[in-house]
Amino acid sequence: MLLINNLSFFRNDIKIFENLNLSLANNQIIQIKGTNGSGKTTFLEVLLNILEPKSGEIFWKGKNIKKNIFDFYNQTTFIMDQNTSTRKLTVLDNINFWRGLSSSKLSNDEVFILLKTLKIEKYYDTKVMYLSSGETKKLELLRLILEQKKLWILDEPYNHLDDVSIEILNQTFIDHINNNGMIIFVSHFNPTISNLEILDFN
Amino acid sequence: MFSFLLNPSRFNKLIDIIFRPLVIITSLILIVGLFLVYYSPLDYQQGFTVKIMYIHVPSAWLALLTYAIMTIYSIIGLAFKIPFSFIINKAIAPIGAVFTLLCIISGSMWGKPMWGTWWVWDARLTSVAILFIIYLVIIFLNQTFENREVKERTIAIFILIGSINLPIIKFSVDWWNTLHQPASVSKLSSPSIDLSMLQPLLAMTLAFSLIGLIIAILRIKAEILLRKKYL
Amino acid sequence: MIILKKIFLFLKRESKLFYSNIVDLFSNILFFFLSVFVFIFALGADEQLLKSIGVGIIWSLLLLSSTLSLRKFYEDDFKNGVLMIIHMGGMSYELIVILKIFSHFLFVQIPFLVSLPIVGIFFNLPINEVYNLVLTFFIGSLILSCLISISASMNLLNKTNFSIGSIIVLLFSIPLIIFSVGINSADIHFNSLINLLIGIALIFLGIAPWSSAACIRLALKNK
Repeated sequence: MLLINNLSFFRNDIKIFENLNLSLANNQIIQIKGTNGSGKTTFLEVLLNILEPKSGEIFWKGKNIKKNIFDFYNQTTFIMDQNTSTRKLTVLDNINFWRGLSSSKLSNDEVFILLKTLKIEKYYDTKVMYLSSGETKKLELLRLILEQKKLWILDEPYNHLDDVSIEILNQTFIDHINNNGMIIFVSHFNPTISNLEILDFN
Repeated sequence: MFSFLLNPSRFNKLIDIIFRPLVIITSLILIVGLFLVYYSPLDYQQGFTVKIMYIHVPSAWLALLTYAIMTIYSIIGLAFKIPFSFIINKAIAPIGAVFTLLCIISGSMWGKPMWGTWWVWDARLTSVAILFIIYLVIIFLNQTFENREVKERTIAIFILIGSINLPIIKFSVDWWNTLHQPASVSKLSSPSIDLSMLQPLLAMTLAFSLIGLIIAILRIKAEILLRKKYL
Repeated sequence: MIILKKIFLFLKRESKLFYSNIVDLFSNILFFFLSVFVFIFALGADEQLLKSIGVGIIWSLLLLSSTLSLRKFYEDDFKNGVLMIIHMGGMSYELIVILKIFSHFLFVQIPFLVSLPIVGIFFNLPINEVYNLVLTFFIGSLILSCLISISASMNLLNKTNFSIGSIIVLLFSIPLIIFSVGINSADIHFNSLINLLIGIALIFLGIAPWSSAACIRLALKNK
């Protein structure tokens, strides 16, 4: 459903990557690996139309994403390296904002169960700035389930997570894949997930 | 046919052919213009001082024309993504600034003996002063060390926002009735200025615009060479 | 419609942010009052003098106080990426800018509006001048919010500390001040000057979303 055709990107006339071809279908998960500075995050930014590629096209469900970018965004969740929760608002405020923005059909009880699974349910009424960096990251990853979108794009999701949370994240990935989902993620860390394809950026 | 306006290599080729003749023609027109100014009639009221007009009016027109050219090239650069237009923007900004400054200084030198004041805060003078400040901001922005693409596009956006000043300058003497003289030369009606004064005026305008053109060409060539180093 | 729900959601979030940061707003208003006091004492607190030039001073200080909120217009949301997330949630950048301008007008400029009659008392302004001040500020603050949006988005692009933003706000607010202060001495042309102000506000409401969104896109490219 996601087809990347001959993509190349130059920054200030220096080649970052060239002739990149990729296809992603249902139930598929791809990990992007590479040394620091090899262009992995840049590739994600080109994929999400933040940066303009020098040549090549990206197709989602057969249509060029530039023709209707919001169709593509409507079915994608992007988790960045930074935490996009508003630090001065409470956890619950942030969750309600993300829910409304993506018109998610999750009920309040289900949200609470999610918070319990990630062991941050006692923080539901505290401001995000009082959480530790690992807990803020867990809140960020909550967005994946809140938004209920098909394609998940993640940049370094395993940073700051403890071992239990890494296991929970792996399980979440496997569940999503088995439910006709698609995942692309960039990571140094090598998770133990079966059927993992690797795109090496060296 | 006009690809030399959009393409640096075509531009360079054309300039190599026409530059020498252009300089010669410009010098001739300048000399002719100065002669016409020397022999132009004295104003019955102002006497000799009226001849400042032959510097003040052409530089005012050229200040506005330069900004109009920058606006058009900003639109071309942002909408059609042609990099040459940003080169032209950067090159001609100081030329416009100098013309505006010349206009303001010659205007106030004219104003002191004639109307008794160096400066007055009426609409046209204020908006021309704002135009000069806009030129200065553009020159300052060009000197910062930002990423080149960001810098060019920010300047282009700023030029477009500031282009709102042009109609204000043009029509301010019609809308507000204050110290500055209303327009005497316009395309829609026959000029209300006598031919013997119109001739030197047009000659000086032509001379000034050709001088501006020569300086612009030199600056554009220099900018192209500077960028070749990076490409 | 879905987009209306999202607009309300965005405005609700903005209101929560302003409420949680209400000390910021109060300190801006306090800054405005203190600068008014400084001016009054610098001019010698003469009643007749204050009455004649009061409106001009109030407008200049309003302008300078409003540039205080320049920094936090887009910076936080841009730095932690929320702007991108909101964009991916289905709102174009132009819509985000318009909503930001509107919420800034609602939550920052309206409190300033309320403090204007109090400042009018300090300057012993006659009641019709205070009325003119409030009316012109109501329209003029919309223009100011648009200018602040443009300058804040240009400041996003600048990693050096050249405050091009403040220069832009001051530069384009010169016509605003000319008309707002001139309205007091032009009783015959009152309606025409109000219409002119509304015209300028509409022009800037058209320019600001386009240029702010362009600068935000540029800044996201070069983060």
